[in-house]
Amino acid sequence: MNKAAKKIGRRHFLKLLAGAYAYATLGSPGLAGAQTTRYGKLADTTRCIGCKRCMSACKRWNKLEVERNELVSDRETDLSAQNWVVVNLRADAKNLTQRIYEHWACQHCIQPACAGVCPVKAITKLPMGNVVINEKKCIGCRYCYQACPYKVPRFDFEKRVTRKCHLCYDRIPLLNYMKPACVEACPVEALSFGYKHEMILEAKKRVYKTKNARYILGLKEAGGTDMLTILPTKPEDLGLIVASQKVVNHNIDKLRVTGAGFMGASALAGFMYTYATLTRGKEKKNRDNSD
Amino acid sequence: MTTRIKKHFDIILNHMERSPAFYTWVSILVVVIGLALYAILMSLIYSLEVFEFSIHVIWVTMVSNYVFLVVSSTGLCIVTSLGHVFGMQRYELIGRRGVFLAFITIIFGMISIGAHLGHPERAMIFNLLTPNFYSAMWWMGTLYTFYIVFIAIEYWLLARPELIERSDQAQGPLEIIYSHMAFRQLDHSRLGAVLKNHKLLQFVSAAALIAGLSAHNTLGALFGHVEARPLWHGSYYPVYFLLSASFCGYSWLLAVSIATYKIKKENIPEDYQSLIFEMAQVLALLLSIGLLFTAYKMGFGLFTPEKVKPIMLFLKGPFSQAFWLFEIAIGTVLPIPILMWAAKQKNIMGVLIASVMVLVGVYVMRYDFVVAAQVYPVIKNSLPSYLPTFMEVLFIGGVLGALFLTYVLGEKFLPLKEERHH
Repeated sequence: MNKAAKKIGRRHFLKLLAGAYAYATLGSPGLAGAQTTRYGKLADTTRCIGCKRCMSACKRWNKLEVERNELVSDRETDLSAQNWVVVNLRADAKNLTQRIYEHWACQHCIQPACAGVCPVKAITKLPMGNVVINEKKCIGCRYCYQACPYKVPRFDFEKRVTRKCHLCYDRIPLLNYMKPACVEACPVEALSFGYKHEMILEAKKRVYKTKNARYILGLKEAGGTDMLTILPTKPEDLGLIVASQKVVNHNIDKLRVTGAGFMGASALAGFMYTYATLTRGKEKKNRDNSD
Repeated sequence: MTTRIKKHFDIILNHMERSPAFYTWVSILVVVIGLALYAILMSLIYSLEVFEFSIHVIWVTMVSNYVFLVVSSTGLCIVTSLGHVFGMQRYELIGRRGVFLAFITIIFGMISIGAHLGHPERAMIFNLLTPNFYSAMWWMGTLYTFYIVFIAIEYWLLARPELIERSDQAQGPLEIIYSHMAFRQLDHSRLGAVLKNHKLLQFVSAAALIAGLSAHNTLGALFGHVEARPLWHGSYYPVYFLLSASFCGYSWLLAVSIATYKIKKENIPEDYQSLIFEMAQVLALLLSIGLLFTAYKMGFGLFTPEKVKPIMLFLKGPFSQAFWLFEIAIGTVLPIPILMWAAKQKNIMGVLIASVMVLVGVYVMRYDFVVAAQVYPVIKNSLPSYLPTFMEVLFIGGVLGALFLTYVLGEKFLPLKEERHH
């Protein structure tokens, strides 16, 4: 082997160092919240043709039931314990001619509210990015549904547990880093899957290049989510639930609410003590009378 | 052998009242409980869908029933602890009945939520194995477990002296049952002497009160933490729940104790009567404060953009009838003058009617509070609505029936009457 090829010169080394430093400082703000080890899913509604192959692939892989006529194109479907991914036709409220197929599933929040409220830690955010419900641990309280800003986890009345999309956590690491079933099935590449930072860059690139794509859902919503959706307009115009642009159910907020309750409880105990002290004279009088 | 068993049964039957009204009342309750058991069986055989079937409004009657019973239990604990913890001797008159009611309401509340949960058996296991300290629901479950233990011990300590007396007077199986219930084998031990100490009762009551208030606070926080439900979110409910618990506790005690005396056609002792009228006045005061809280919630909600829609559901929307008629008129506004008038005129029936009105109002309020919050936000264009299923109604009827039956049997066999210091 040529020894000279392996040798890195002083100048070359300094160049590399400066480049790495510049990448670390300049490149990172654009990739906020994206770790290079985490995966993300990107759904491009401007490309989706509404064939519902993603729904069917999801059902096949996760062994979910198929209802009659459910997979017919343009038929309105709702998320359920047997429907982890849905595709629905949505019209822009401000421009009714603008219609898109919206691919909707669990958004895999970076700080999931559902996992925060689950009393038995049945919901976990995996390091890969997936938010997964352990169905063998779920107690079926449905608190996760209440806490979820998008109302995604749905209750299965037969199995008595809550179920939702887990971003095919059982495909990614085990099967030689295969993509989730829905992404694999998409015929028009409306769905993409890869490292989160790559997905963010890809989404930004498409918004920059494509005329229709204007909004990336998931960059800030609920404190950032690992599923990104490119929309032609704002989510509220399409009739989607609008999540707040910060982490939902933050622990500090929980502390504030609970703290207020404890202050209330202390005040109540104080009132009870005052009531007892103020009416002590009456008690004595009653006792004297009875004697 | 058979004659011996028959003799034992005769002793128990002789102890029971033989009025037809009593038996009719008990048989109605037994039928209602039987129907509830049928509903539970159906949910186990088919699916949980026979109860709360909606996938959008998923916490309904069972949760609201649970909240109602649990809030009542904490309220009863608050009122009775005025006597046992804060040393107001006149409140000790209602001590035993109050603590017994607090115990049975929390037990039937837990049964109600147990039927709502998909896997209640897992809840017990994983609450211990993998606790989530950030979840209000975990804290609620754990603290209520402590509360149940403390409130049970409190009742036992309160009832023990009379259980001992009854075991002395009774014969045959009743004597054995009462002496076992009183743990008479401890009579001459050192622990037996400790049990008679009033300080122990005070300590256990204080522990029950602290556990009850903390658990109750986490129940409010369970709803208050949910940022995705604008109506629940915030620190209003943990505080308001404490207030509503207080007036619920007062109403329960007034309604149940007056109704018991009236049904048994016994005269209410004079000191008990004066306590009832004092409690009626306190209840009126608490209801007035509650009215201020409700006004604050509605007023504040109208100025908070995300809360306007759910608040309008109450003021003008599908929940307006329940809100204005039950929550405001029957539950709060009308009882206040009735209670004031009854306390002044020394009219026992007035107090009874007003306290029952408050309980009805609070029950409807719990249902509205749980259901209305789930209407926003939903992804569909139309608002989801909910009407309880027939099975659900059977179940709730059964839980309330079982609660009343337990009280009736408790009134028959356990010491629930007023404590008197000799």
